Amino acid sequence: MIRARRLLRGPWARTEHLLPVASFVVILVAFLVVPGLEGDPLNSGAWFNGFQGFAPLGLVALALGLTLIAGEFDVSVLGMQALGGVLAVRAGGHSGLLGVLAAVAGCGFLGLVQGGLIARLRLPSLPVTIGSYVALIGLTNVLANDQTLTYGNLNASVWVDNTLFGWFSPRSLITFAAFALAIALIGCTKLGPELKALGAERRGARVSGVPVERRITLLFVISAALAGLAGALLSYSEASATLDPGLQPLILAVAAAVLGGVSLSGGRGVVWGLLLGSVAVALLEQLFTIISLSAATTQILFGALLLVIVSVDAPDLKTSLRATGQRLAQRAKPRSETV
Amino acid sequence: MTGRTVAKEGAAPLRAPRLNGRLTIAGAAACAFAALVLVLALTTHRFLTWQNIKAILSSASLVGIEALGLTFVTMVGGVVSLAVAEVAVVTAMAFLAMLGAGLVPALAIAMALGAAVSGIQGFAIGAWNANPVMFTISAAFLIDGVGQGLNNGQIVQPAAGGYGTLNATPLGVPVAVYVLVGLALALQFVTRRTVLGRQIMLVGENRPAARAAGLPITRVVTLAFAIAGIAFGIGGAFLGSFNAGASVLSEGTITFDAIAAVLVGGTSITGGHGSPLRTLAGSLAIAAITDVLLLRGFSTGPQVLLKGMLVVVVVVVTQARSRGRR
Repeated sequence: MIRARRLLRGPWARTEHLLPVASFVVILVAFLVVPGLEGDPLNSGAWFNGFQGFAPLGLVALALGLTLIAGEFDVSVLGMQALGGVLAVRAGGHSGLLGVLAAVAGCGFLGLVQGGLIARLRLPSLPVTIGSYVALIGLTNVLANDQTLTYGNLNASVWVDNTLFGWFSPRSLITFAAFALAIALIGCTKLGPELKALGAERRGARVSGVPVERRITLLFVISAALAGLAGALLSYSEASATLDPGLQPLILAVAAAVLGGVSLSGGRGVVWGLLLGSVAVALLEQLFTIISLSAATTQILFGALLLVIVSVDAPDLKTSLRATGQRLAQRAKPRSETV
Repeated sequence: MTGRTVAKEGAAPLRAPRLNGRLTIAGAAACAFAALVLVLALTTHRFLTWQNIKAILSSASLVGIEALGLTFVTMVGGVVSLAVAEVAVVTAMAFLAMLGAGLVPALAIAMALGAAVSGIQGFAIGAWNANPVMFTISAAFLIDGVGQGLNNGQIVQPAAGGYGTLNATPLGVPVAVYVLVGLALALQFVTRRTVLGRQIMLVGENRPAARAAGLPITRVVTLAFAIAGIAFGIGGAFLGSFNAGASVLSEGTITFDAIAAVLVGGTSITGGHGSPLRTLAGSLAIAAITDVLLLRGFSTGPQVLLKGMLVVVVVVVTQARSRGRR
């Protein structure tokens, strides 16, 4: 009994650990059970498709999640994803690798400019990245001459979606590799605690010697490069570059990050949680496809799910509910006395 | 994120720019940018014609009306609403569907629906301190899904012809332009001359201080969002009338255009500052720049690119002024 209570108080009981595991398990069970109930048991194709969805989602969620942990919010991942797609299609005509490199380098460079601006001038990241998101969509259109670009390099298109080990493709494995790299980098260096310190208490982090400007700049470079990579691989897979991805990638990435235990106010979250959150959201999306929900219903369900998560994450929810409860109790009291 | 303790006096929050190295660079960049645009505009053939000015006004009107509403969200500390276009489209649908009851009732319903849908979001943000960007983006996704589901994804057609009145052009200027200017003046009055307006500013400037002062935060934030929703509803009615139909496809780039107008108007993203009149100026500036590029034969790409860069430049200049906030 005592041991169980101690277990509940241990590091596992922290939200950043509990939330990703819980949401992953719930969605995994649903993914395993629901198709069977519909009379169409899972096959390896469902897993493959789920991880195909995970490929771009995971990269964007990792990009967004890392910035969220540090207390910043990078809307421009949407624009970087679009730009990465066009850069890869433009530069990767002969060599797919060259296109990916161009996308990562180009987006990374713009991320450096943006991150440097935000860090040096201490700007709030939201309005800056909203502006740069719009600018990047414009730049993408300029580079593509306002037309959807088709990608002629069929070899690269086929290669990224090869089935490997039944469930995976090079695309999804690259995303897993990015997560592995991030876990290693952030788990084994000072970077992890530094990111959390930046998000939880910026001034304290500065005072205790965290190179704030350099870390924030680095984060925006990583975020942009990851989003560019996601866009490049996605445009290879679709054999064309989308000029405007819409809001959906951002919504799914936010859902993945929050289910992965990242707090929207910064300072909380771990990379493996982000990984579990991304896989969970990708499987959920695939589940909706399997049971053939309409696009509208899928959107309503994701929107409602996210609204609940954001409300639960809200810092004053408990206080507000308690106050309402007290007010109702007070109102009920005099009435019961008169009766 | 805000830890500002600078006291504001007077109604107009005008501050003398402090002289520091970064500011002067940013300021110089902004001045150079403004000068460039001005020179480009004045040297553009046909820019200074009555015809073209009317075109600028009418292209600013729709996004301008939405941006005026969004200003209230930003001023009360709600950062931005990412559900502007979605609220506008569902109100447009309601407006068109209710036209059978007459123009005025349909308009009233559009405004009431906008106020309700936006006010609910304001309640969550005011009462629970929910993250406004995330909450509104989730709401946008949900509303968009509902909009798709309604009418089975078909375009909502006007139930009667009354919407033509909103497309009229008395004295050669579209009705939407009159509404834009009238709404800007009315909202400016609310901001500067009513108790609610002052409360909105205080809650946006410093929520803990407003709470300590005993302000009803939940009510103020909800009302600010509801006022924004009324503007989104009016904009939605015009959106539905312009297109003589409404579907989620008409959302386009309204949300980010409205955000751009608010930011270019110089309203501080962290709340407590700004004015509807400045937002009006911001939306006119964006419309004028887009118009210059259009007259000079640039396609959509460069127009959008420049709009985004303009937002970044203005944010750098307005935010770099108040330093040491983190």
